[in-house]
Amino acid sequence: MEARPGPSAAVTALRGVLPFLVGAFASLLLHFVVAPASGPFATKLVMDAGINVILAVSLNLVNGFTGQFSIGHAGFMAVGGYTAGLVTYYGSMLLWGSPAAHGGFLGGGELLFLAACLAGAAVAALAGLLVGLPSLRLRGDYLAIVTLGFGEILRVLLQRTGDVLPTAAEVRRTPLPELATHVGGALGFTGIPFYTSPFWVGIFVTVMLVVAYRLKSGSHGRSFLAIREDEVAAEAMGIPTTRVKVTAFVLSALFAGLAGGLFAHLVGTTLNPRELGFQKSFDVVIMVVLGGMGSISGAAIAAVILTLLPELLRSFSEYRMILYAALLVVVMIVRPQGLLGLGEIWDVWRPRRKGTGR
Amino acid sequence: MSGPLLSVESISLAFGGLKAVNAFSLSLGRRQLWGLIGPNGAGKTTAFNLLTGVYRPDSGTVSLEGRRLNGLPPHEITAAGLARTFQNIRLFPDLSVLDNVRVACHLDARHGLLAALLRTPRHLAEEKAMEERSRALLSLFGLEERADDDARNLPYGDQRRLEMARALATAPKVLLLDEPAAGMNPREKDELTDLIRGLPARFDIAVLLIEHDMGVVMDLVEGITVLDHGETIAVGAPAAIRRDPKVIEAYLGTGAVDEAVDEAVDEAVEGRA
Amino acid sequence: MTKLLQTAMDAVAVGSLYALIALGYTMVYGVLKFINFAHSDIFVLGAWSSFAMAAALGWTKAGATPPLLGGFAILLASMAFCAAAGIAIERFAYRPLRGAPRLNVLITAIGVSLLLQNVGQLPFVFGTQPQRMPQLLPDRVLASVAGVDLRLVDLIGAGTAVALMLGLEALVFRTKLGRAMRAVSWDVKTAALMGIPVDRVVAFTFGLGSALAAAAGLLYAMKYPGLNQPAHATWVLLGLKAFVAAVVGGIGNIRGAMLGGLLIGAVELFGAAYFSPHLRDLYVFTLLILVLLYRPAGLLGRAAVEKV
Repeated sequence: MEARPGPSAAVTALRGVLPFLVGAFASLLLHFVVAPASGPFATKLVMDAGINVILAVSLNLVNGFTGQFSIGHAGFMAVGGYTAGLVTYYGSMLLWGSPAAHGGFLGGGELLFLAACLAGAAVAALAGLLVGLPSLRLRGDYLAIVTLGFGEILRVLLQRTGDVLPTAAEVRRTPLPELATHVGGALGFTGIPFYTSPFWVGIFVTVMLVVAYRLKSGSHGRSFLAIREDEVAAEAMGIPTTRVKVTAFVLSALFAGLAGGLFAHLVGTTLNPRELGFQKSFDVVIMVVLGGMGSISGAAIAAVILTLLPELLRSFSEYRMILYAALLVVVMIVRPQGLLGLGEIWDVWRPRRKGTGR
Repeated sequence: MSGPLLSVESISLAFGGLKAVNAFSLSLGRRQLWGLIGPNGAGKTTAFNLLTGVYRPDSGTVSLEGRRLNGLPPHEITAAGLARTFQNIRLFPDLSVLDNVRVACHLDARHGLLAALLRTPRHLAEEKAMEERSRALLSLFGLEERADDDARNLPYGDQRRLEMARALATAPKVLLLDEPAAGMNPREKDELTDLIRGLPARFDIAVLLIEHDMGVVMDLVEGITVLDHGETIAVGAPAAIRRDPKVIEAYLGTGAVDEAVDEAVDEAVEGRA
Repeated sequence: MTKLLQTAMDAVAVGSLYALIALGYTMVYGVLKFINFAHSDIFVLGAWSSFAMAAALGWTKAGATPPLLGGFAILLASMAFCAAAGIAIERFAYRPLRGAPRLNVLITAIGVSLLLQNVGQLPFVFGTQPQRMPQLLPDRVLASVAGVDLRLVDLIGAGTAVALMLGLEALVFRTKLGRAMRAVSWDVKTAALMGIPVDRVVAFTFGLGSALAAAAGLLYAMKYPGLNQPAHATWVLLGLKAFVAAVVGGIGNIRGAMLGGLLIGAVELFGAAYFSPHLRDLYVFTLLILVLLYRPAGLLGRAAVEKV
């Protein structure tokens, strides 16, 4: 069939990028108006929440949309974070002789940071491909074990890495590939410049949400959902299930890597192997399961709530994981699809699939 | 065109020592309607699974328009033009009725993932075409009113019809229907029979039909293949199959044969009178 | 020569523990077709509850010597305790989900696993401090071959593991209960129709698997007495390796789990001894990937065909 042009090419193109423009505007507003007015503590919380939104929504592409179960999301986050950290830390050393943040808003340092995040995302996606290919050919639960194993092995390997090189002279002496082994070991990768700001978090959250939503409402995303619903039937409808599952997994790893890049350059956090272990992966799993498996808004809301909750319940911290774990079991028994299931938050007020016809 | 559309040559499959299907052959021409019958456990669904790539035959070949299909994964067989429904209904229960059909239209989509994420004009046009085609299929099967319902909430008969609409959405050349009338009431069965009868001409497809309801089969098809214990025990026109003692024996056991033959003869005489 | 012999002995000792844990994974997978994520936490519970009992009896004090059979008494007590825990978990967390999608059961199992880990870390349970397990089993050097000591405790450890496996083998293949277990693993619905009390068989399977994991927990602590806190990552990795053992042997296959355990033990310890000790987890994980790629049904498993 011949593809007919829409109302007008310009209008269609504008519609295609409009959500990104709105997101960029909101991010600027957040950065220059909201954040300065609300102080550093609240700003940090907002950035934490944003990073968790990216993690939860990206994990939902696999666990919710495609019905596979990954529990090594923090591993991909670590891959992205360490890659991005390597680029900005050693890159800054080589370019400017010091790892300190360079240039102002959208200056040279931030451009390096943007490149670093994209590089982190790309390497994380590659790691996703390597992990996903052998395990996604098989049905069911193997992915959970393989992703858990991947995250843990990665943690063990990262703990074995060497100290961060502190001076530009040493960095210049060391061959480039060897720099990758100097990421701080068990103590963590310290000294990464703090480039993550409300603006960048806002931009990446926007990209994540728009991508997830457009995916869900298009034919590619429907293939994801079909696999989750019934893999045999999906295959019988001509969907190359293994390839689609791997695509979902790689996309999910890519955004986890992006979140890792933001995390690595955030004030008040240290990129260390323990921080990005299975506990972090489970945190993200809980966000997805509580929010709704397949619900973008559900996962995002759950991510925000579960970022703020520990702050409100500080004295309760010993019981936090117990509460989460118990919640996980109870939700599975009482409301297995999660709070919102496949639906979105706006469907709650405007029920789309109820009753008979129109 | 001269050669058959679908040509199945002596495919066999054994589970351990049990021959599930033995030397099954079939030849379907354009716009032909053919029936596959047999008692429970005769290997009918297994034959479907062999044709659609769920199982790989131990021996024999399946080819569509001269292209060899066996050995391909199921999704490639569907893309090549062989679509099916499932005996035990396998819809996508949490997706809407419309989305169940739209999923199967994905073979129409030629745009990449990036085009979908950027909502390019091509993506929008293809999505629109898919939706229109899906809605047309739904209205053919009388399901347009329920397009926005979850598939799980459809009554049984509607679910069976939705499975057929979904299989047709893959734009097949041959449609395999596994007991489409199962669990339907007589009125629904009549409607379904009329619908199936019209499919070959409307979509330019051949239809292979597994059905337990003899009324439905005999009424619809040009020819029938009868399976029993994995073996093909008879092939022929419905009228001949109806009188074939081996078929009657397979269905009813020995002893019933004479009685059934008498009945069939009576029926035939009445029909002519 | 010394190194080879020492490594081989360690490989058998550790491998038989992996095998004991792997049996629990494989039996539950056999009857219910899901990975019991919380199984490795039962193993941890076995180690820690043994420690708690020893502490309560005053055997953890410096200079205390447990009575000769004290270790075995604790072994039996912790096996019984963990069996009860396993049965309770099945009853309250998994049974309500019988017949639910596999994903839901998997998520529940992850929840149970997290729950066990974090309850175990509470200050009034086991706490967050690492502890040192006292030697509960009699130990002396029995013989010395090529500079390698054959220690009594290692012999008792491996011997207990082998005895438990032989016992399980006899139970599953020679008793009526074992036949019921095999029937349930073949087809739950048909087994129920044949009058087999499925719930009781499943509960028994959980109890049995948990008891074996508890034994592995105590024996592991005898060999490596430094006990990490219950949610420590080392436990997760141990559980993971035992699971890999079950997969390598062919999940659902009891003899496969034993074979897989020994194989994993050998790969890990020979790799650590002859290549690099830091990458031991990586060898096991690589083996898992290779098995998934080339023989997903495992060494002794049969490829499953899904009914359509």
